[in-house]
Amino acid sequence: MDLGLERLRNMVLDMAKLSQNTVSTAIDAYVQGRDLRERIYGWSEELRMLQDEVSELAIELIARYQPVASDLRFIKSCMEVAYGFSRFGRYAHDISDVLGIFGDLSSCDRAAIQEAGAQAKQMILVSIKAFTARDVQLASQLKKMDDVVDNIYLDFVKKSAQVPEGNLKCFVSGTLILRYLERIADHATYVGETVLYIVSGERAARK
Amino acid sequence: MEDFKIQTQKLNAWFGNNHALKDISLGIRQNQVTAIIGPSGCGKSTLIRCLNRMHELVPGARSSGSVLLDGANIYSRGIDPVTVRRRVGMVFQKANPFPTMSVYDNVAAGLKLNGVRNPDTLDEAVKRSLEQAFLWDEVRDDLDNSGASLSGGQQQRLCIARALAVEPEAILMDEPCSALDPIATAKIEQLITNLKEKYTVVIVTHNMQQAARVSDVTAFLYLGQLIEYGGTTSLFENPKEELTERYLTGKFG
Repeated sequence: MDLGLERLRNMVLDMAKLSQNTVSTAIDAYVQGRDLRERIYGWSEELRMLQDEVSELAIELIARYQPVASDLRFIKSCMEVAYGFSRFGRYAHDISDVLGIFGDLSSCDRAAIQEAGAQAKQMILVSIKAFTARDVQLASQLKKMDDVVDNIYLDFVKKSAQVPEGNLKCFVSGTLILRYLERIADHATYVGETVLYIVSGERAARK
Repeated sequence: MEDFKIQTQKLNAWFGNNHALKDISLGIRQNQVTAIIGPSGCGKSTLIRCLNRMHELVPGARSSGSVLLDGANIYSRGIDPVTVRRRVGMVFQKANPFPTMSVYDNVAAGLKLNGVRNPDTLDEAVKRSLEQAFLWDEVRDDLDNSGASLSGGQQQRLCIARALAVEPEAILMDEPCSALDPIATAKIEQLITNLKEKYTVVIVTHNMQQAARVSDVTAFLYLGQLIEYGGTTSLFENPKEELTERYLTGKFG
């Protein structure tokens, strides 16, 4: 059982590294105007397969050992966290797809996306650190960080709506990317919530 | 105050100088299955034996504190232990049908001891008890065969039918599946789930997964002390006490 739990933990940490790199690459590619769709799609598919492997191992451990208490909470959380990391991959792919849909976006103001992107990257890092160290205190910072991304997204949408003559391509592409970043930030927050659950058995209240 | 079917208050039990139970206070609700878990020697069996005054049958055994059955202390002066044991039946780890008796007589034995002689009443009670124990369909044509001729799982269900025949209010089960194969175990577990509709059930088990499957409430005992007591789902997923956590996850010692 302990060996199985260790294996599960390592698989989730592998996913963490890959998902962090995938999101980071997608954001950087957008800022630099580089088309890395194929590479990012490959990584997002890899994350999806790893999520399946985590689920299979988790179910095997439950079936074989019928774990309870903190062991059971850890296994349940690994499945949730693996889903979160898989979503990171999917949203990273969606971000990289925006360039493919809209073409050159170099004339658009990318400040909001750069700010939200930096925050989302930092949130992924914090969520992984908190999960690895089972650090509830660190995990609790994620909610506030998530508010920052939410506000950038909402401000952008509101501002764009107030400027009807603005560049529609920039508005739609910016809204899409910020929406994906907002979802990434949400999933990073959920990863943080599992830390509280693993350690104390309590479920964090959601907005 | 909550209404419990059985309630222990500062219950202590000894075997000679061995202090087996220490100040156990817990309430057992009607129509629920309560599981008692804990490592060997923690006092699980002693606790349920105190609930129907079987503990005192062991030479050198004694107890203090009280056990309330419907609010009345079963250890009060003037209370007949035999009446208590009729109201609170017991099923043991090893199936123990009366070997020289037929299936029918095994079930009817308790009723006959209580003075029931009418053949129709006995027939009806035997059929009802065997049905409740999920055994009727398997033995209806062999009621005259020896109880000892049945399989291990059937013998255990026969013992449950025997306990049910006298229409108890609560049933205590001391590791009823420990000697049974998975199929027989599944039948007993299904039976336990059904029995709680009519009876209050307390089960001692070493098998934590069994406790998780069949019980509504679980009590964890360690070295004669009640460490934690609560809803089964909550106790198994999120135990409050460190000792419970360590026991459940096998990290003792």
